[in-house]
Amino acid sequence: MDKLSIITSFIHSIIVMNIPLLYGTVGEILVEKSGSLNLGVEGTMAVGAVIGYICGCWANSLGVGILTAFVMGALCGLIFAVLTVSLQANQNITGLTLTTFGLGVYFFVGNALRSAKAFPTMNDYDSIRAGFEDIPIPLLSKIPVIGPGLFSHNILVYLGIAIAVLVWWYLKHTSPGLRLRSIGENPAAADSVGISVNRNKYLHICLGCGIMGIGGYYMSLYMSGSFNSNCWINGYGWIAVALVIFANWNPALAIVGTFVFGFFNTLRVSGPSLAVAFPGALGWLAGIPTQLYQALPFIITAIVLVVTSLRGNKFSSGLPAALGLNYFREER
Amino acid sequence: MAQYAIETRGLTKTFGSVVANSGIDLNVKEGEILALLGENGSGKTTLMNMLSGIYKPDSGSILVNGEEVSINSPEDAKKLGIGMVHQHFKLVDTFSAADNIWMGKEKAGLTLKKKRYGEIAEIAEKFGFELDPKKKVCHMAVSEKQTLEIVKVLYYGAKIIILDEPTAVLTVQEIRRLFNVLRRMKEEGHAIIIITHKLNEVMEISDRVTILRKGEYITTVDTAGTSEKELTEWMVGRKIDLNIRRPLVEKTRPLLEVRDLVIENDEGSVAVDGVSFYIRGGEILGVAGIAGCGQKELCEAIAGLRPLKSGQMVHKGDNIAGLPPKAILEKGIAMSFIPEDRLGIGLAPSMSITDNMLLKKYRDARGPFVDRKEGRRDAQSVIADLSVVTPSTETPVRRLSGGNVQKVLVGREIKAGPNVIVTAYPVRGLDINSSYAIYDILNVQKEKGVGILFVGEDLDVMMALCDKILVLCHGRVMGVVHAHKTTKEELGLMMTGSLDLTEKYEGKPAGIAKDSLIDEQEGKEA
Amino acid sequence: MGFHIVKRENCPWWQRLILYVAAVLIALGLGAVVLLFMGVDPIEYYYQMFTMGTVGNRIAYKTFMNYLKEFVPLALTATALSLAFKMRFWNIGGEGQFIMGSIAAAFVVFRFGPVLPMWLTLVLMCLAAMLVAGLYGSIAGVLKVKFGTNETLLTLMLNYVALYVLNFIGETKADWNFFLQEQSARPVFKNFSSIAAFPQFALGGKFQLNLCVILTFAVGALVFIYLKYTKQGYEVSVVGDSLGSARYAGMKTGWVILRTVFLSAALIGLAAAFKVGTAGVLSTSITDDVGWTGITVAWLAQLYTPMIFLVSALICVLQHGSMVAAATFSQVDSSFANMLQGAILFLVLAADFYTRFRLARVKKGEKKNG
Repeated sequence: MDKLSIITSFIHSIIVMNIPLLYGTVGEILVEKSGSLNLGVEGTMAVGAVIGYICGCWANSLGVGILTAFVMGALCGLIFAVLTVSLQANQNITGLTLTTFGLGVYFFVGNALRSAKAFPTMNDYDSIRAGFEDIPIPLLSKIPVIGPGLFSHNILVYLGIAIAVLVWWYLKHTSPGLRLRSIGENPAAADSVGISVNRNKYLHICLGCGIMGIGGYYMSLYMSGSFNSNCWINGYGWIAVALVIFANWNPALAIVGTFVFGFFNTLRVSGPSLAVAFPGALGWLAGIPTQLYQALPFIITAIVLVVTSLRGNKFSSGLPAALGLNYFREER
Repeated sequence: MAQYAIETRGLTKTFGSVVANSGIDLNVKEGEILALLGENGSGKTTLMNMLSGIYKPDSGSILVNGEEVSINSPEDAKKLGIGMVHQHFKLVDTFSAADNIWMGKEKAGLTLKKKRYGEIAEIAEKFGFELDPKKKVCHMAVSEKQTLEIVKVLYYGAKIIILDEPTAVLTVQEIRRLFNVLRRMKEEGHAIIIITHKLNEVMEISDRVTILRKGEYITTVDTAGTSEKELTEWMVGRKIDLNIRRPLVEKTRPLLEVRDLVIENDEGSVAVDGVSFYIRGGEILGVAGIAGCGQKELCEAIAGLRPLKSGQMVHKGDNIAGLPPKAILEKGIAMSFIPEDRLGIGLAPSMSITDNMLLKKYRDARGPFVDRKEGRRDAQSVIADLSVVTPSTETPVRRLSGGNVQKVLVGREIKAGPNVIVTAYPVRGLDINSSYAIYDILNVQKEKGVGILFVGEDLDVMMALCDKILVLCHGRVMGVVHAHKTTKEELGLMMTGSLDLTEKYEGKPAGIAKDSLIDEQEGKEA
Repeated sequence: MGFHIVKRENCPWWQRLILYVAAVLIALGLGAVVLLFMGVDPIEYYYQMFTMGTVGNRIAYKTFMNYLKEFVPLALTATALSLAFKMRFWNIGGEGQFIMGSIAAAFVVFRFGPVLPMWLTLVLMCLAAMLVAGLYGSIAGVLKVKFGTNETLLTLMLNYVALYVLNFIGETKADWNFFLQEQSARPVFKNFSSIAAFPQFALGGKFQLNLCVILTFAVGALVFIYLKYTKQGYEVSVVGDSLGSARYAGMKTGWVILRTVFLSAALIGLAAAFKVGTAGVLSTSITDDVGWTGITVAWLAQLYTPMIFLVSALICVLQHGSMVAAATFSQVDSSFANMLQGAILFLVLAADFYTRFRLARVKKGEKKNG
């Protein structure tokens, strides 16, 4: 293979392999900005993935798949919201349970269909396959080497970035966004000026989890619907939880973070071929164990956590002050 | 008949088995200031929280402008024109002043525009307030936060304004300014309800007074036709002696001496600047000063919780500067600091009274186990001695009311048999009965020969209770005066820094004892 | 809306019990609907699951022994976590600490097992696992004490770092890697059950009681006494409740936090040593998710040690039973257990709400004494 095309495909992979991280992260940012720490990202993405995939295939429509994944994600969010917002349950426990439950649903549904020989194969559904094809951006995609890598992607990549930008704008520049942030910082203050804390929490938890669901659905398509004992999500949900911290609760930084984490994730796969193509400059890549790439996002996030706490400047941090705490108005 | 802006009829609210409010009737007209008076736990805040939609009443009705309304949330209250300034401000620390107001604005539009800052500044000015709309709440002083809360309530168009103990955190000047604002709002036709403990403030600002006692409505009287003494009687239900005892005790040589103390606060700036004083056994030394003038840092430093920048600290001739908290405890120095939230330092709120009694002495038991029997005995005796109201010794402290919590704290400190007691704001937020109980406890200790440092807020109380008063202004000593010789005016001038009495007595600088053990020590060394 | 939520002070134990039992029954009912849909008789399925297929089975003793193998790590991990939780230190790094402990245990076996007597190997194994897991847990403890780093998120990250360390060992064929089988060309963990295995005692019939089970109950009793009656346990409670008061009482709070976090993580390491010492082989899924499940167990049991043992026992019935049942009912995947466990927990969390709050009717317009 031509050396330049290896670089191009490496850049391309960084984006297409890791865009689900962006969905997961942006969704979780919305949830956390409402003051809820949802550790159920992995489970939510898994449910969105398997049910979105199956329904999308059955309808032979990418749109139906996206919508179903969103609705299933939002339903997971609804479970979380009912328990933590209305029923005051501990958020950590509820989130972890959501992950157990979600992965249970994923394998149960998938294996049931597989053993009934009814699990859809993506290749049989032309409209899905066509929908997931790359759409080059005119002009920009013509730039040599980086053009096809950066500016020619499937529709869900564009959608993911659009959602991230939209959520960034929503949080920073709109009145509903201001109200949402006030709830995450100090729900009692928000309540006292007449902001409906519970309604806002429900809305944003469901919305955020719906976005995670689409991220799961992306993963199913990226894996071409091949269902085996490894979950499609394969830890992306947990990396997303880490990425939220790395991005300092800012969706715009989440785009950058996705590609930083994605870079290492992609090296894990593409490292050997890069080493072969450029034995002089990148030959050493072959010697690095793949597990290091897998661990790097977590190591980096751990370091980010420590460094931000070192600075101790809590007001420049995007961490919502009331994160993880339930709000009960009549608390005395 | 003039229509009431707001009226309650038979309002009742219970928390579990505790009846916080039972059948309360209250009313306010437009252009009137009503003071709501009552001891701690008499249910004033609960009542106001029902009006502002935080709590839901169990029964009874609320009428606004003569019409019965149902207030299910703060949102409903806001729509009805009811605004409340809470005792603990409800502000988002990381937001600017403008955003704190903007977030509750209806029809705020979709996008946030820069011009909101101008709009908020304009409104503040219109109401006669100074407010920097871009300043973040976390950088504001207490009085600024209160101003913001009031502007916020006015901006939302409240006609009925409730203030829960607004003066508790303010200086004398700031209180005066606040009262001017309230009078102006009254002229503009607002109905105002103000909760306060301080009788002189009630007399000064209110038109009528409604009194609650133990959750029940007692009466409503015209302020002009009543007196502080009468109000007190309504409030506590029986005549009480307004005089605080000041027993004369033979004084010992200085127990605790502090010389040229310099202490930094959390931000690293100097909070206590070259302070010297001494406490003899059998005397109460008062520390007066505007809130935040180094009192907290001073107490913490004496207890060993905060490092000294420089200076000496000597206890019975032994240097205690730089010792860990445990060693200082063992010397017999007890410190009780009642912070604004009352539970911050000194108690473990989720643990039982028994366990809290053991906090400083659990190590004394032999072997690896905690001696709970001892703790239970202590708990029983403190409950009996200070008449603490509690279901049992095993009740978590968090479930007790404010006054009882403080009694538990002070009771434990005294139980340990200290020779120096440092106590800051021990009656903060307490009603008259509980306050007197605490003064009595301190006096009994004084008679036993204990030296007491009393950091207080109420000058009248300090002048009656203390033997001497040390005045702080921005971390510096402005002088030490005899409590029975000084006047409120003198103290006030010293607190604001206009009067410096440190050089009053020639040859005897303020805060340095003639028979100091420090000098004796140095003399020996020399 | 005629209702609103009110906090309740205490809930009698029998009401609590009814609520929790009702929650579990509803979850099982939901599960039954799914089973019916799959064409499986739910009563038969649940019968198989809850008896773990032991009734009328000649090798039932084996099922019990396998069951206990799952119970020991979970109960011990949850107990260990409760120590940190009592101090409001949200150690969700049980997975990582467990993994580090098991690597250390295996290291001792491979390095010293062949030359030392077995009892000494086992003791060293436990000590090494406790030390390594304890130190790994202490990373979050030290940073929390020094810089106030958020321990929930940090321990979460460290879980994955540990997991990939284990994967690295398990997937890298190299001369230095004595954890793997030399003969196999593919990386496979080496079995060591002949070098180190915890002794078992015959208790009538063929049932063998493993030493680990006895030790686990002993540790549980010690932790219970430690938290409830000792000075150190008292310090843990005070630090958890109010850090300021703890400092004021002259406690060295940093030291208390470090000591407790180390102890908590070290006991998780002990659980790992027990697991490794009974399994006789490492695997990349050595934890069986006990680090996660343990959090839920400790929380559901409200950090009360005897309840932790009870809840662990029930959760293990669910997990082990569904594996047994999956063997009989091939159309029901064993992931049904995860789904069911999730549903049960959701409903128990919901039931928990009614033990802490109640719905009160709002009486409107009712006047008192006119």
